[in-house]
Amino acid sequence: MNAVIRTEGLVKRFGHVTALDRLDLEVTQGETHGFLGPNGAGKSTTIRVLLGMLRSDEGRAELFGGDPWKDAAELHKRLAYVPGDVALWPGLTGGETIDLLGRLRGGIDKAKRDELLERFDLDPRKKGRSYSKGNRQKVALVAAFAADVDLLLLDEPTSGLDPLMGAVFNECVKEASALGRTVLLSSHIMSEVEALCERVSIIRKGVIVETGTLAEMRHFSRSRVRATLKNPVRGLEDHEGVHDLKVDGLEVECSVDTAALDDVLAQLAVAGVAGLTCEPPSLEEIFLRFYGDELAASGVPNGEENGS
Amino acid sequence: MTTAVAEIEDGLGTLAGTGKLLRFQVRRSRMYLFWWIAGIAGFTWMTVPVLADQYTTAEERVGFAGTMSSPAMLSMSGPIEYVNAYADSVGALFTHRMLLWTGAMTAVMFVLLVTRLTRADEETSRSEVIRSLPIGRRADLAAALLLSTIAAVVLGGLLALASMGLEGGDGSSALLFGAAHTAIALVFASLTAVAAQLSENGSAATGYGLGALGVSVLLAGAGNAEGTWVTWLSPLGWSQLAYIFTSEQRWWPLLISIAVAILAVWLAFTLVAHRDFGQGMVAARRGRAEAKAGLKSAGALTFRLTRGLIWTGVVTTLLLGVAYGSVIGGAEDFADGLSEAQQEILDRGGATIQLSFAATFVSINAIVAALFGVLVIGRGRKEEIVGRGELIAAAPVARSGWPGSYLPAALFTATLTNIVAGLGLAAGGASGDGELAGKILAATLVQLPAVWVLIAFVFAAFAWLPRAGWLRWLAWTWTLLVVYFGALLDLPEWAMAISPFDHLGNYPAEDFSWAALFVLTGVAVLFAALGYIGAKRRDLQFS
Repeated sequence: MNAVIRTEGLVKRFGHVTALDRLDLEVTQGETHGFLGPNGAGKSTTIRVLLGMLRSDEGRAELFGGDPWKDAAELHKRLAYVPGDVALWPGLTGGETIDLLGRLRGGIDKAKRDELLERFDLDPRKKGRSYSKGNRQKVALVAAFAADVDLLLLDEPTSGLDPLMGAVFNECVKEASALGRTVLLSSHIMSEVEALCERVSIIRKGVIVETGTLAEMRHFSRSRVRATLKNPVRGLEDHEGVHDLKVDGLEVECSVDTAALDDVLAQLAVAGVAGLTCEPPSLEEIFLRFYGDELAASGVPNGEENGS
Repeated sequence: MTTAVAEIEDGLGTLAGTGKLLRFQVRRSRMYLFWWIAGIAGFTWMTVPVLADQYTTAEERVGFAGTMSSPAMLSMSGPIEYVNAYADSVGALFTHRMLLWTGAMTAVMFVLLVTRLTRADEETSRSEVIRSLPIGRRADLAAALLLSTIAAVVLGGLLALASMGLEGGDGSSALLFGAAHTAIALVFASLTAVAAQLSENGSAATGYGLGALGVSVLLAGAGNAEGTWVTWLSPLGWSQLAYIFTSEQRWWPLLISIAVAILAVWLAFTLVAHRDFGQGMVAARRGRAEAKAGLKSAGALTFRLTRGLIWTGVVTTLLLGVAYGSVIGGAEDFADGLSEAQQEILDRGGATIQLSFAATFVSINAIVAALFGVLVIGRGRKEEIVGRGELIAAAPVARSGWPGSYLPAALFTATLTNIVAGLGLAAGGASGDGELAGKILAATLVQLPAVWVLIAFVFAAFAWLPRAGWLRWLAWTWTLLVVYFGALLDLPEWAMAISPFDHLGNYPAEDFSWAALFVLTGVAVLFAALGYIGAKRRDLQFS
């Protein structure tokens, strides 16, 4: 496995605030990696360290095996970056900005650029100051997708895009992935990450709290089971793998640990099943599990119990 | 909520919520207001006793009047009527020497204040939040202008207090001195309010406001040099024409300022109701779909982004040079009209009066040229603050390219504008006199090492202490202070020596030393190297 991005014990402090607290992140070549976390968790700081804009206080960061701080200019030839909040030059048009960013990287494929402008429905003749937030984002996206690079660093790239453009964005990421490009997609839009990413890292307060494929994460999580039975069922409430059990006559609803799934289904089958749905946990649910205490602290009741 | 709605229904209409906004603006701007007012009033406070001590007797003041009555000195101070009153009034001497400059600083303060409170907020969508509250369409402009008026009155009051101790004039002179500044403040605040409505963005509004100030200084200078009506075209001139602390003292010229301010406020309120949020009256034009072939490096981008500033600098310094040049041209006639004793004072060091004027003007030109270089470095810092540099920093560009290219851009700008100023000075001052023109141009080039030191220092400050933006203004203001007021305020030798311009000699009136030029150039190279090391070492602070 070839790591395009690897950080070990990365620490970054701003004064008394520790933004990254021994962060370990690994993104392998060719994968589309989701980087999940709420605002302020350290996503942008991580990306800026990887871009050599910020210097880490401790730990190691590697980009294509090189040092992102020392070899920044050289490494940047192989990547394109879309910031979360794109600030454009008020006097430059979108087209000029895209061309400039392309030429800094050694040239731009004009056909590809024009095709992307078309797909994102972006007017390249408007000045930077008159673009809306979504359109500023599109300028940076067109510049990034038009670039012939090995790595795309996308920091909440779809904030401000409407759903239609969100769909175009998803297409573009899939195409980039098909070309063998590595993508680090920082986001807090779960559906986007679920649709695009093979592997996901969840960051919380500057630490990666979970990393793995979606399948792996689901394995450690719970499925939602709803059943309409023919006869009443017993013993479910005593089962270790069953949570949030609700029984209403012959209607049964509960969350089941993946490991206990076959056991529970067998019990239901004994009672006789008239109807059954079983939903795997959404990424959102997985994500919220890691933030349960923070939600509770802000007064939001957490649907899931804390892990037993 | 209900009370606010009630307020609107009470008929306040487009001004609803002004009071609340005013309190909010006071809170936000208190440090800005404090430092500016403390700076201007404090400077006056400190200068009053120094000047009063220096020119205690009428003879000393008459002697000084001789130096001050040349067109050159008048153009940099005020009308001749003050000079005529030197003998009887220290206050007249003080006002003559100071009003143009404290007035100009006051104008800068209010131009920046009004832009800050109006357009700058719109751009960052801060005021979008406010406009969505039950607050009238004109309320933020009203609050900004109210706050400006309060600040103008406070500043005027403090300046009146500061000048209270000056002899000469009647009891109301100090009050008038303060009011003269209040009037300048009101004119520039209201003109900027209009500019803020007309322009597409905040920096353009600041540009219009400071441009108006530049024109005011030039017009006042041109009018005062020869005592013509041109002074009446300048808002700074109106305050000067009150002849404060002289026997001819009068209040009514300030009424012109007040009338212009009221007219401008009315215009701004009319315009604000007719434009859309975030837009200027002049709609943005569409531009190129593709970049020109030259726009392909961080340096090219820096040049493109500072292009407007460079043109402004070239035009300003050309006008300045030609204006000063005309004064050199008239210097001989002026000298002929002086008594021998006065000529002796002027002929210090055996130089002709033309050469000593030229020496003064080239250093002022150089400091103005350096200002444009300092502004270019400021642009670099702004690129970082607002986060635009992030796209460039993420591209394959070394730190020496971004933000490093702002140093060569600043050096280029300052060098170019200084040479343009010198050409203007030579063209205006040495018509047909090839030798004099040559000396003026040589003197202009002699200034360059000092200009480079200042720019390189400012760049190093940007590289190592990015948050200390005040440092670049302190450095620049200090060089200006030393050239203008160094001798006047009797600053200690070491304090003057901090300014690189203090080591150039007074060429062409006196000789310059090659050694000093080499040392200064060396210092500039050192600061530049230090700056590049800093730019390479530090975190980039994007928003």
